[in-house]
Amino acid sequence: MTRDRIPYAVFTLIVAAAGWYTDNPYYLQTLTFIGINTLLALGLNMLMGYAGQISLGHAAFYGIGAYGTAILTVHWHVSPWLALPGAVAAAMLVACIVGIPTLKLSGYYLGMGTLGFGMIVNILFREWSSVTGGASGFVGIPSLELGPISFSSTKNYFYLVWGFVIFSFILCHRIINSRVGRALRAIHDGEKAAAAVGVDTAKLKLQVFILSAAFSALAGFLYAHMVFFISPESFDFIASIRIVTMVVIGGMASVWGSLIGASLLTLLPEWLHAFSEFEMVVYGLILMIIMIFLPKGLTRGLLDMFERARKNK
Amino acid sequence: MTDNNHPLLQIESVSKAFGGLQALTDVSFSLTQGTITGLIGPNGAGKTTLFNLISGVFPPDTGTIIFNGTGIRNKKSHQLVSLGIARTFQNVELFDSMTALENILVGQHTRTRCGMLGSIVRLPWVAEEEKKARDFAMELLDLIGLREHAYTTSGDLPFGWQRLLELARAMASRPQLMLLDEPASGLNIVETMRLGDLIKKFRGQGVTVLLVEHDMSLTMEISDRIVVLDQGKKIAEGTPRAVQEDEAVIAAYLGTSKNKADG
Repeated sequence: MTRDRIPYAVFTLIVAAAGWYTDNPYYLQTLTFIGINTLLALGLNMLMGYAGQISLGHAAFYGIGAYGTAILTVHWHVSPWLALPGAVAAAMLVACIVGIPTLKLSGYYLGMGTLGFGMIVNILFREWSSVTGGASGFVGIPSLELGPISFSSTKNYFYLVWGFVIFSFILCHRIINSRVGRALRAIHDGEKAAAAVGVDTAKLKLQVFILSAAFSALAGFLYAHMVFFISPESFDFIASIRIVTMVVIGGMASVWGSLIGASLLTLLPEWLHAFSEFEMVVYGLILMIIMIFLPKGLTRGLLDMFERARKNK
Repeated sequence: MTDNNHPLLQIESVSKAFGGLQALTDVSFSLTQGTITGLIGPNGAGKTTLFNLISGVFPPDTGTIIFNGTGIRNKKSHQLVSLGIARTFQNVELFDSMTALENILVGQHTRTRCGMLGSIVRLPWVAEEEKKARDFAMELLDLIGLREHAYTTSGDLPFGWQRLLELARAMASRPQLMLLDEPASGLNIVETMRLGDLIKKFRGQGVTVLLVEHDMSLTMEISDRIVVLDQGKKIAEGTPRAVQEDEAVIAAYLGTSKNKADG
C-alpha cells in the first residue's frame, strides 16, 4: 500500500520544487499549461487507455467547463468556487445524455459519433453569441481568489493547477487499482468476456465517460480563469485531436503517460518556433517518428527498451 | 443417481431458427444439481446454439429456460452471472494484458461491490473486501496449480494453463451452474486429464456442470448424464453407458442410409 504512494510523494516534491525555483513568468505559465493539458489527457486516458473507448470530441467537455464557468461567473455573478462544481456537473450531465446512445457504438462508429458531438458543441459556442460571445470570444472572466490568496499571480496559479493534477492522479490511481479499474481493463481486453464474468459493460463505460468529461471540464475551468478570455477555436476538432494525440504519444493506460504526452505536446510547439515556417512539418515528423519506433507510446516504449537492455546484459 | 434432487436448470421445448435454418426443434431436458451433464452431437447438431441460449447470447423463439425457478429470458450475460451461471469460451477469452491473479479478481466482480466512489474514498470495508477477494483468488490458483504464476500476465501463459485459468475465473463468481464450451479443445491428453479432474472437483463443491464437448473419452468419463443432439433435435438422454449403446446415437455418429450425419 505505502510503496505505491512513493512516486506520488516524489512527484509532489518535484512540483513544489519546480514552483519554488521557477520565477520566470513565461516558464511558469508554460508549466501551468502542461498541468491543464495533463488533466485533459488523464481524463481521456481513463476512457481510451483503460476502457478502450475512443472519443474524438473531448474538447467539447473542455469547452463546457470553460464556457460554463464563464457564463456562471460573468452573466450570473456566481462565485467561481461555486461555478466549478456547476461547470463540472454540466459536463457530466451532457456526457450522460450523449453517452447513453453513443457508447452503444464501438470502434470507428464511436469515433464518428463523438466527432459529431464535438462539432455540434463547437457550433453552439460559435453561434449562440448572446450567451457565449460567439466567434469573437468571451471576455472578462474573473481571476480566482481564495480569501487572502489571489490566483492572479502566475506562481499561485501554477500551484493551484498542479494541486488539482496531483489530486486527480491519486484519484485515478485509486480507481485503476480497484475492482472498478480491473473491470475497465477487462472491457479493454475483451468486452464479451467482461460481460461473461458479470461486468455490466454498458453501465461502466458510461460511468467512465462521465468521469473523463468531469476531468475535461475541470481543465476547462482552470483554463478559463487563467487566460480570462476564451474563444471557440480552443475547443474545436483540432483541440480534440490534440488530446487524443497526448494520450497516444504519452502512452495509453498509464497515468504518467498522460503527464509525458501533455508535456511533450505543450512544449514541442514552443521549442519548434526556431523552425519558423517549417514548425508544423517538424512537429508532425517528431510525432510520426515516436509512433513508428515506440508504437505503445513514450512511457511503455521506453520501459520496454529499458527491460530489453537489462535482459541483454 | 441423483434423480430425486430438484433440477437446477430446466429447458422446456426450446426451439430456435436462424432465417430458414431450424437450429433447434423442441428440445427439453433438465440438469440436476451437483451433476455433470455432457451435451454431445455431430457437427451442426445445435450444441452451440443451445449453449448460447442458456448463456443469454440470444433468446429462444419458443420454449422456456428456467434457472433455479426463474425464467432467464431477456436476462443479459452479466445478469446471469449474478444469478449464478458462469461460462467459459471455446477459444479461451482471458484478459490477456492482466495477470492471472487479476483475471480471477475480475471473475469475482459480481461477488464484490466496491464502486467508483468506493474505490476513491477507500473506506475500511473496501480494503477488507479486496483482501478477501485476493485470498479467494489465491485459493483458486492453488486449486489449478498456478499459484506461483499469480503475477504472470495471462497472455504469456501456455495455452493449457490459460484454459485452467479461464475455468478458475468462472469459478471465482461462485456459480451454481457452469457452462463449459469445449474446454478440452486444443489440449493434449495429460492436460485433458487434469481438466477432467478439475471439473470433478468443481462438482465436488456442489457446482452443476453442462459440458459441450467433442472429446468423447473425456465426456463419457466425467459425465453423470449425457444428452445427445442431432440436427437440432434431442435423440437420446441417459447415462454414458446407455447412450453409447443407443442405436439412434450410433446412427447419428456413424451415419446410416436413413439418417445421415450432416457435415
